[in-house]
Amino acid sequence: MNLKPVKDTLIIAALKSIPDLKRNPLMLIVIGLISAIPLFFLLIFGGQISYGLVGALVSTVSFIGIAAAIQDITYDRYVKIREMIIAMPVHPVSYAVGVALAPLILSIPSLAFFMIIAMWIGALPPSSVGWLFASLILCWAALSGIGFIVSTYLRKASVYTLNNISNILGLGLIFMPPVYYPEEFLGELGWIAMIFPTSNAAGLIRAYSGLLELPPEMIALRWALLFATTVISIIVVSLKSKWREA
Amino acid sequence: MEAINSVELVKIYDGKKPIEALGGVSLSVNKGELFTLLGPNGAGKTTFLRIISTQLLPTKGEAYVFGYDVTREEKKVRKHIAVVPQDVQTYGNYTPWDYCYYFPLLRGATKEQVKERAESALKAVELWDLRNRPCVSLSGGERRRAIIASVLASDADVLMLDEPTSGLDAVARRKVWAILRELVEQGKTILLTTHIMEEAEMISDRLAIINKGRVIAQGKVEDIKSLAKEKYRVVVEGNSQDIKLLQNDNRVVKFGGKQIIYLYDANEAVELVKSALKMGLKAEAAPITLEDVFVKLVGGEEA
Repeated sequence: MNLKPVKDTLIIAALKSIPDLKRNPLMLIVIGLISAIPLFFLLIFGGQISYGLVGALVSTVSFIGIAAAIQDITYDRYVKIREMIIAMPVHPVSYAVGVALAPLILSIPSLAFFMIIAMWIGALPPSSVGWLFASLILCWAALSGIGFIVSTYLRKASVYTLNNISNILGLGLIFMPPVYYPEEFLGELGWIAMIFPTSNAAGLIRAYSGLLELPPEMIALRWALLFATTVISIIVVSLKSKWREA
Repeated sequence: MEAINSVELVKIYDGKKPIEALGGVSLSVNKGELFTLLGPNGAGKTTFLRIISTQLLPTKGEAYVFGYDVTREEKKVRKHIAVVPQDVQTYGNYTPWDYCYYFPLLRGATKEQVKERAESALKAVELWDLRNRPCVSLSGGERRRAIIASVLASDADVLMLDEPTSGLDAVARRKVWAILRELVEQGKTILLTTHIMEEAEMISDRLAIINKGRVIAQGKVEDIKSLAKEKYRVVVEGNSQDIKLLQNDNRVVKFGGKQIIYLYDANEAVELVKSALKMGLKAEAAPITLEDVFVKLVGGEEA
């Protein structure tokens, strides 16, 4: 069995995370801090912190998924590292997954922090941890896929434009749908929660941790939607993206 | 044995107004030689290098690296090559060691091999003492050498460097030249692009002058120089009225108070220098340079 693609993925993930981690360890705090900011408001204004903690977990993987797939890919193009890697015996999928995986590694301390707090206050029963990981991984994959669509279709846009798009998209997908707040707040517009991969992931985590009551068919539908977002975005990217320029 | 071979390579960039970047380039680079593509900006050098390094598909024509087709057998080609792209920049947080460690790992080398090669490459580019310093704190020349070191550590057979010394000062540039020549001595094949004449003249085994997507001359430096009818140049400096007296036909290029006068043989050059000195002008004779020939060829002047 040829394990080189897997090995290459891990090398690229290491290349894109370890040097940053060694020389800029404060970024570990920053990654978590962005997602933690809404928690402070929830604490101050008396919101439901258990909902907020699920939101922080989803937000962490969503932000890094979008940012890596747009900003890191674009920056690699800008500094020409991508050109160096194309000329190596490396599969494009290894490169893409490695780039997306790197910030996920960097976000582990933040995810662990939010998880511990959530478990401590009883918002996350140990039995739901497996479902939590599955939801977060699919959410990260879906958001990375959306990010790759943006960086693929707007490949001629400037680094600055793509950075702005990445931030707007990230904030939109995290703060608009019910990620930090309960779905019930939407009332008749509750279906909105099913459009976004972020709110689907948050809904699933809440359902498994007892914060949200969802019938089994709705849980299945949410998994299917989350999975479909990932698969569709991967198909769209693979149709358009070209490792080698024509 | 040919390391690189291209046959009538054509590249047309699509768009509202299609641009022909290469108009049928045929070249061959022998194994173990340093071959330079010399040309003005926009001549097609980078396009050629990007096609050969499997980053860009040609519109027509064929190209091979060690007999492997760059269009259809890119995976095999990539095992043999390493590339330094034009205007490559370093990641601020990466150190020279990071470049020499992770990139060769991607080529399939073991950790032990990589550590050995990284040390050797960093010592070769004189960055061993700075190996753990983030690139953001290195000078421009050191950063460029860090990238070149990553290519050295790759242990690839063919190194393709797109204007690797662009923007470097003379001292840094010469250090890179010495490294490249050392690599050729070790048996590596190097395809280099540059628009720096001295670079092409000093380090190339053979070179091709490329302009508007076409090769207009190729061979050894001396072969290219022999394309010019004039073999000597005299630089005269002084009163412009006096200089006019020395002018003979059209073989004169003026730069303010200085003129370069091109001559067919050494005797003619010596006589001109004597005449100039008698008139109280400064004069210096020398064989023509590659730049003289390049300007004539690319500038459309008759050689």
